[in-house]
Amino acid sequence: MHSLSEHEELELKRIAFKIRKNVVRMIRAGESGHVGGALSIAEILSALYFKIMRVDPRNPSWRERDRFVLSAGHKCLALYAVLAEKGFFDEKLLDTYGALGSKLPGHPDMYKLPGIETNTGALGHGLSISGGMALGLKLDGLDAKVYVVMGDGELAEGSNWEAAAAASHHKLDNLLVFVDRNTLQISGRTVEVMSYEPLLKRWESFGWSAREINGHDLKQIVEGASGIPFEKDKPSVIIANTVKSKGLSFAEDRVDYHYWKATTEELQIAEKDLAEIERGLKQ
Amino acid sequence: MSDAKDPRKTFGEALVEAGEKNPDIIAISADSSSGSGLTPFKNRFPSRHLEFGIMEQGIIGYASGLATTGKIPFVVAIAPFVTARPFEMFRNDLGYMRQNVKVVGRCAGLTYSTLGATHQSLEDIAIIRTIPGVVVVNPGDPVEIKKVTHALAAHRGPAYMKIGSPKMPVLNREDYGFELGKGVVMQEGTDVTLIGTGTVLSKAFFASELLEKDGISVRLINIHTLKPLDRDLLVKAAKETGRIVTVEEHYLIGGLGGAVAELLAREHPCPMRMIGVDDQYASNGPYEELLGLYGLQPEQIAGTVKKFLG
Repeated sequence: MHSLSEHEELELKRIAFKIRKNVVRMIRAGESGHVGGALSIAEILSALYFKIMRVDPRNPSWRERDRFVLSAGHKCLALYAVLAEKGFFDEKLLDTYGALGSKLPGHPDMYKLPGIETNTGALGHGLSISGGMALGLKLDGLDAKVYVVMGDGELAEGSNWEAAAAASHHKLDNLLVFVDRNTLQISGRTVEVMSYEPLLKRWESFGWSAREINGHDLKQIVEGASGIPFEKDKPSVIIANTVKSKGLSFAEDRVDYHYWKATTEELQIAEKDLAEIERGLKQ
Repeated sequence: MSDAKDPRKTFGEALVEAGEKNPDIIAISADSSSGSGLTPFKNRFPSRHLEFGIMEQGIIGYASGLATTGKIPFVVAIAPFVTARPFEMFRNDLGYMRQNVKVVGRCAGLTYSTLGATHQSLEDIAIIRTIPGVVVVNPGDPVEIKKVTHALAAHRGPAYMKIGSPKMPVLNREDYGFELGKGVVMQEGTDVTLIGTGTVLSKAFFASELLEKDGISVRLINIHTLKPLDRDLLVKAAKETGRIVTVEEHYLIGGLGGAVAELLAREHPCPMRMIGVDDQYASNGPYEELLGLYGLQPEQIAGTVKKFLG
């Protein structure tokens, strides 16, 4: 299990900041986008791509690579940002978000950009695909792992629970799911729209080993993600408690910013918010 | 023509042959392995036979994920449960992701004649052929089932194969020319083109024999591949015979007749008749009687053709 040094933690914080900055940059370019969930997973993606996962931007289809599946595909602005940061493609591409035929659609397309493993967007698909990847890797005797980010609202899709049952049945202990529990979905508080508590017990009852962390605490993310399987022969899940739209003062934890049609005034506030985060990192 | 053969058993044997040639081929079962003809594969390659239970939505996603690691999954189950039920998974996880997964819908059409409309599959071709890049195949006899199985194992990309369960008469010689996407002219003719597919190709075949006895020159075509459709062969038939009749164990909406009509409306419009099940949930009862209820027996097909020709 890895633990982060102060220096490493600061570096991952800088990358999470860069993700946030580039999410706002894309929304400025495209004039709107799914901001809330992209900002709530910035630390998770920073830790996965810069500390946990074995991936090679120069060889994106490397057979022994770890896989990342963004089951909640609408959070893809964060994925685009981290892939650019990792060097999978030129950061300038981010400015094409929203343009006709852009390589950065509002839900990811594996044939448009290197580093994207799956076409997700319709909810409740990613976990099954990830399970298939994990099973295929095991059949081939590879020790690569599959990391998945799901939304908490997404958990209402029944197909997830088919996938979860099969993952424990087939003992996919090379599979780790992060549930981005930002507690909001389009219609309101997730547990009020469709309750899912007790969430840890629900996963455990499906044969998974479950933990709960603060999804913005990089030390907790790295400790959790580097320690899989939590239990031998079991798939692992981390319930990551997060704040939707984290980092934007006017949007944090507000249901209205699941999808953001950015006004000039809001973009100005966003710049100030980002500048403040950056100042904090330099101190 | 020799004895009739069980389509599922035939498929299962062909899959073992394909599996011997290619170690990446795996079989995926949804609690229906034996009914899907997979028992020989399971016995021969136990580690390459994966059971998932009754979870047909999840299975398509798992197959997609397995394909990303180089496996060639054959997902086999009762037809509506691997087409209509997980349609979005088929569309996104296989089609959109261009995954090398083969879905086999068995006991399709009216096969489950007594079990009723939940188990019958009369729309599978219509819905799956809307998915870009998916090959849709409906083999017409046991020889063709084997050929299709091998062809799909070799083809790179998502595909759907439809098979029934009642024994099928052998119509093709072992050495007949089979190619995905290419129709087969089983008999030349000039008065009308009769096009059959899948389980009722034999009904069209026997209907053409009846029509020939009455002095009608029938061009009999087997369209085993619904997508991609054999454009050249169909346009040629429309030009040369001027009339087309399609025969299928499927809804008239979106099946063989619909696909041929879509093509000819653009390329060479000609009068058509379509024989199949019209817009309704099919009845239940003995299989052959059910086919008769929808005009799919040879005498009925011949009658429809004669009436069409006037």
